Amino acid sequence: MTIRRLTIAAIMAAVLAAAAPSFAHHSFAAEFDANKCREFTGTLTKVEWTNPHGFFHVDVKDTDGTVHNWSFQTYALITLRRAGTSLELFKQNIGKDVWVRGCEAKNGRPFYAAAGSLKFASDGVLRQMGQLQD
Amino acid sequence: MTGLRFRLSVGCAAIAALIGVQYASPRAQGARPAAGAQTAPKYTITVMPPGGPPPRLPDGHIDLSGHWLPNSAGQGVSGRDGVDPAARRQFDPKVTPEEQPSFQPWAAEKIKNMTPVELELAKSSVNCMPRGLPAIWLQNPYSTVIVHTPTMMAQLYEVLNNWRLVYTDGRPAPKDPEPWFHGTSTTRWEGDTLVVNSHGFDERTYVMPTGWFHSDEMKVTERYTRPSKNHLIVQITVDDPKVLTKPWTSAPRRWTLGNGEVYEFYCTNNHELDELGKLKEQESYGK
Repeated sequence: MTIRRLTIAAIMAAVLAAAAPSFAHHSFAAEFDANKCREFTGTLTKVEWTNPHGFFHVDVKDTDGTVHNWSFQTYALITLRRAGTSLELFKQNIGKDVWVRGCEAKNGRPFYAAAGSLKFASDGVLRQMGQLQD
Repeated sequence: MTGLRFRLSVGCAAIAALIGVQYASPRAQGARPAAGAQTAPKYTITVMPPGGPPPRLPDGHIDLSGHWLPNSAGQGVSGRDGVDPAARRQFDPKVTPEEQPSFQPWAAEKIKNMTPVELELAKSSVNCMPRGLPAIWLQNPYSTVIVHTPTMMAQLYEVLNNWRLVYTDGRPAPKDPEPWFHGTSTTRWEGDTLVVNSHGFDERTYVMPTGWFHSDEMKVTERYTRPSKNHLIVQITVDDPKVLTKPWTSAPRRWTLGNGEVYEFYCTNNHELDELGKLKEQESYGK
């Protein structure tokens, strides 16, 4: 084996070793910007109980008073269910206040983010919705 | 509750939660125990004990039937707090380290040249293609139900509602099988280990979500053991001389017996291809 081949093999081994912990899931970091994570508060308007990801929508008021309907991506539904978050819970909170910590899309799509965590005002429980990037 | 009061209360709760996570979470305590601490961290979700002896089929072989979770907890662990890190694992790399695949130089070069977005788009979890074999046992965070009889093992994968039948009745493999995502299999018992040899794979799948692709010549060996009632061990060997310089064998990976629900998972609302496609366009403009 030449030195070049050995170098390539070593680089690949390092890349794979670094990637090993994330084998099970795809990376939110590829699609969402860890430097654009922030908190949102608003009113829950809709939930899409679908795979490979669920989505919920929140009317968020900007600093200038304009209201925009944000779409937040969640884990796959199986993960939400096994962590104790159900569709029924979302339905019960439509029209009510929610708090979200999420990260905006890297491609610049407006009003679209990955949800890291969520609180319904109705119970105040911090629920993990996706990978926290910050 | 008014919007302002809610914001204030949520803000305070978030700060309190962060402080709580920092100072009270079992993970944080477990990572750096206080000097002289004698008590182990308290976790809500811990490693599942082995249980009693494994069940057996009427013919005396080990019965692999069960609802299997890909961790050591016997329940879902993603998105949950209070999980012992050991309960999240399928294997302990300090005890059974998993070797790295040794790629042919051209294959290593091909993988190295994939951009982060291309790597992402190649993942089954992103593109909604079947994981196929062997990825279904190597990159699957969801559960698998096995129904085992003396003549057949049915594997019902929660992810994408995929399934596979492995016949254990001694039928020979076809010489020139159609390319299937799970290949075509023959089986034999080595003591209490069920050995499944498969070939004839669809080339569109990836062995690992690292860009590790395979050729039409890939052969996969699965070794199934059930050392106790609650533990299933699956070890995979990939032999693919076009892509690898030598066969690769996984660590013996543990799946644990669950008693919760099995959920439907049809991939019908995938935004990722569009979103990542836009990113790929931006990536190519930047080149």
